[in-house]
Amino acid sequence: MINRHSHEAVLAVLAALAIAVLALQSAEFLTPANLMNQGRLMTEVALVALVMTFVIASGGIDLSVGSIMGLSAVLLGTFWQKMGMPLPLAMVLVLFSGALCGLFNGFIIVRFGMPPLIATLGTLALYRGLAEGISQARSVRGWPEWFAQIGQGSFAGVPVQVWILLAAMAVAVVILGYSRWGRTVYAIGSSETAARFAGLPVDAAKYAVYTASGLAASLAAIIFVSRVSTTRSDMGTGLELDVITAVVLGGTSIFGGRGTIIGTVLGLVVIQALESGLSLAGIKGDGTIVLIGVVLILTLLASTFAESRARA
Amino acid sequence: MQLAPQQAADPGVHAPVLSLRDISKSFGPVQALKDVRFDLRSGEVHALMGENGAGKSTLVKVLAGMHRPTSGTIAAGGSEVAFGSARDATAAGIAVVHQELLLFGEMTVAENVFSGRYPRSRAGMIDWGLVRRRARALLADLDCHDLDVDAKVASLSVAMRQRVEIARALNQNAKVLILDEPTAALAEKDAERLLDIVLRLRARGVGIVYVSHRMNEIFRISDRMTVLRDGQYVGTVDAAATSEADLIAMMVGRSIDQVFPKVEAQIGAPVLEVRGLSSGPLVQDATLTVRAGEIVGLAGLVGSGRTELALTLFGITPATSGTIAIDGQEVRIGSPKAARDAGIAYVPEDRGHQGLVKPMAIRENISMAVLDRLSPGGILRKGDEKRIAAEGFRRLGVRAAGIEQPVGQLSGGNQQKVVIAKWLETRPKLLILDEPTRGIDVGAKSEIHRLMGEMAQQGLAILMISSELPEVLAMSDRVLVVAEGRIAAELPRGEATPQTVGHAMTRRTGTTAHGRARP
Ligand SMILES: Nc1ncnc2c1ncn2[C@@H]1O[C@H](COP(=O)(O)OP(=O)(O)OP(=O)(O)O)[C@@H](O)[C@H]1O
Ligand SMILES: [Mg+2]
Repeated sequence: MINRHSHEAVLAVLAALAIAVLALQSAEFLTPANLMNQGRLMTEVALVALVMTFVIASGGIDLSVGSIMGLSAVLLGTFWQKMGMPLPLAMVLVLFSGALCGLFNGFIIVRFGMPPLIATLGTLALYRGLAEGISQARSVRGWPEWFAQIGQGSFAGVPVQVWILLAAMAVAVVILGYSRWGRTVYAIGSSETAARFAGLPVDAAKYAVYTASGLAASLAAIIFVSRVSTTRSDMGTGLELDVITAVVLGGTSIFGGRGTIIGTVLGLVVIQALESGLSLAGIKGDGTIVLIGVVLILTLLASTFAESRARA
Repeated sequence: MQLAPQQAADPGVHAPVLSLRDISKSFGPVQALKDVRFDLRSGEVHALMGENGAGKSTLVKVLAGMHRPTSGTIAAGGSEVAFGSARDATAAGIAVVHQELLLFGEMTVAENVFSGRYPRSRAGMIDWGLVRRRARALLADLDCHDLDVDAKVASLSVAMRQRVEIARALNQNAKVLILDEPTAALAEKDAERLLDIVLRLRARGVGIVYVSHRMNEIFRISDRMTVLRDGQYVGTVDAAATSEADLIAMMVGRSIDQVFPKVEAQIGAPVLEVRGLSSGPLVQDATLTVRAGEIVGLAGLVGSGRTELALTLFGITPATSGTIAIDGQEVRIGSPKAARDAGIAYVPEDRGHQGLVKPMAIRENISMAVLDRLSPGGILRKGDEKRIAAEGFRRLGVRAAGIEQPVGQLSGGNQQKVVIAKWLETRPKLLILDEPTRGIDVGAKSEIHRLMGEMAQQGLAILMISSELPEVLAMSDRVLVVAEGRIAAELPRGEATPQTVGHAMTRRTGTTAHGRARP
């Protein structure tokens, strides 16, 4: 038990440490207002990271999430303003097209046996290109008030999108940790051949995780558009790196077969705490990236060490 | 490298090249070895015997420097040594061919033979010409002139890979060669060739540690035998003064009926009916029937298409033509999932790769083929899962720390029991067993045979692939002989003898004398 969860333990200590240091340094940090704001800021990355945990645990990767986010944002504006659809319908269609982008990733990977890294590197360029072609460098503004609530409003004192995130988290914890689909994902990530020989629905599971990944990216896009009240075709650029960093920091093995939602959430919290703390301390963006890189490497080293100690 | 043939002298005059005293090794709570002693003389073949999980491979890994013993001493050539790594053992003249081959698949044969320690030319460059020449000479020494030293190892058969491993060991100029179940994955002919090589090396004065579950081999080649039981040293005996029964009694602590008891089962209606099944070059127009309670043996040479037939029935390589019916109902089998739903279970040949998810626990592996049954509504019932895993664990007599142990840590035979437990849990109508007792100790083997009899009595139809002819003859109600992708002969129990089956195996197809009797 100890060695199974040693990584989460290391992370939890790290998160607590980071938060304590930040709270001591800046009186603003531990205020409810700041914490809620941090929740708002991390929601988009977090939603995508939850599903990315499944993708990576199944031995795959999805580099196209940032591009799907950009394409979804552009499509939302186009459906609503250019094509005159009712906004709720446009939102549903955007979620649908995000899922479709993910399904197409799954199709290339399953049907042609292409390595996920290469397949989604290709669609990263493809979806971004589509977004740019459709948007024609024009942005869409003037969103109705009710739509702005998703990204800017609160419910019972907690930002609306944080409620969405908490719901998604609960679903992800149950599916990955307690359902047969979660078990299937781990089995595929550990040994795809053996999973297939056990009669597990390997292809269906892969379609499902990539489709869900696309869906999560388009949901993140809707929240993002609502939060910043505009659409741009370069939205979500580099999202895949933030997401993968959080998932790997959370202890999901990049080779598949291992990883938990709790780990990913802790990874997200550590990164968010570092980013906001450093910006409160007045440190610029580049410094933040360097520090996150260092933390990532040190954490993985520490948990490898803890694990080998627990085993010996 | 030129190996000078040496006189085979009386083994008694050789001093021990390797000597172990009071070696213990534990993995956490698992005590894999306890106060084991072992001596190896040069020019002898010393068999290391024991049931699955007795600790043989662990001892081998201690000798190879891969495990550090918890306590005890190792002496090589009279002086005490401590192996901190595989490199140290190699430097001490110990070469090992492991149970799971460790070659680098993407590298060529010659590169593997040298594995990083290449001869250099004066300019400091790797002398590839010399590398190839020496690899070729070494392999020719091992009787394989037919092997291309530039071929990638991944493209070779298991038998060939094994020879590459041995060539690599010889290239280290080893004084001690350790072979851990080298023949488990080999066909009879290849196994014969390997034994010849072992005997030749013995004649050159190499000390050989040989691990195997095959009794006839052990008695053919070994001079002495050391037996382990549950990680403890039981004794060392001279082969000449020991009978098979004595040895088995030492291994299992009681005597065992080694003759497979064939239980008579009520043979019922056809369960599997296959007509004109084809898929690829190795499954051609197969027609066969297996009835409830019947055990049908599939005999044939390695590469004749037996496994391919099983893979087609199981949906890995779906049929391109022909029909499959289960209980009289025609079924379409396009995937292993469809096969399982139709009531077909397949225990594969390659258990490490196809049969098990090694990092996962025994519990997770046993439940893997019945996850949907265990999760109405999608949520896994952990309680039910534990219960069926514990039941399968107990029923097959798996030896492990418990159902939470990762299967990758189990000994080979215990891994096989986990695969069988997994498939029995699906309550199949037809069970296909591909080399079910390969690498399995005598006790577990007769246990698996007993289980097969019991399952047949309960009305299960069994299709068994085995390269071990005695096993096929003893267990089968009917024997189908496969040759070149076709079913070349069908022999009822009474007519199946080593001669008739052997004859059908090698006979060219098309000249079916026995006819393919239709039931
Ligand atoms: N890395 C490990 N961690 C924990 N337990 C281990 C490990 N390696 C081996 N064991 C345990 O040590 C015992 C001896 O295993 P070993 O592989 O040496 O058996 P073996 O005699 O080679 O059996 P087989 O004939 O099936 O190959 C087993 O109970 C096994 O589960
Ligand atoms: Mg072994």
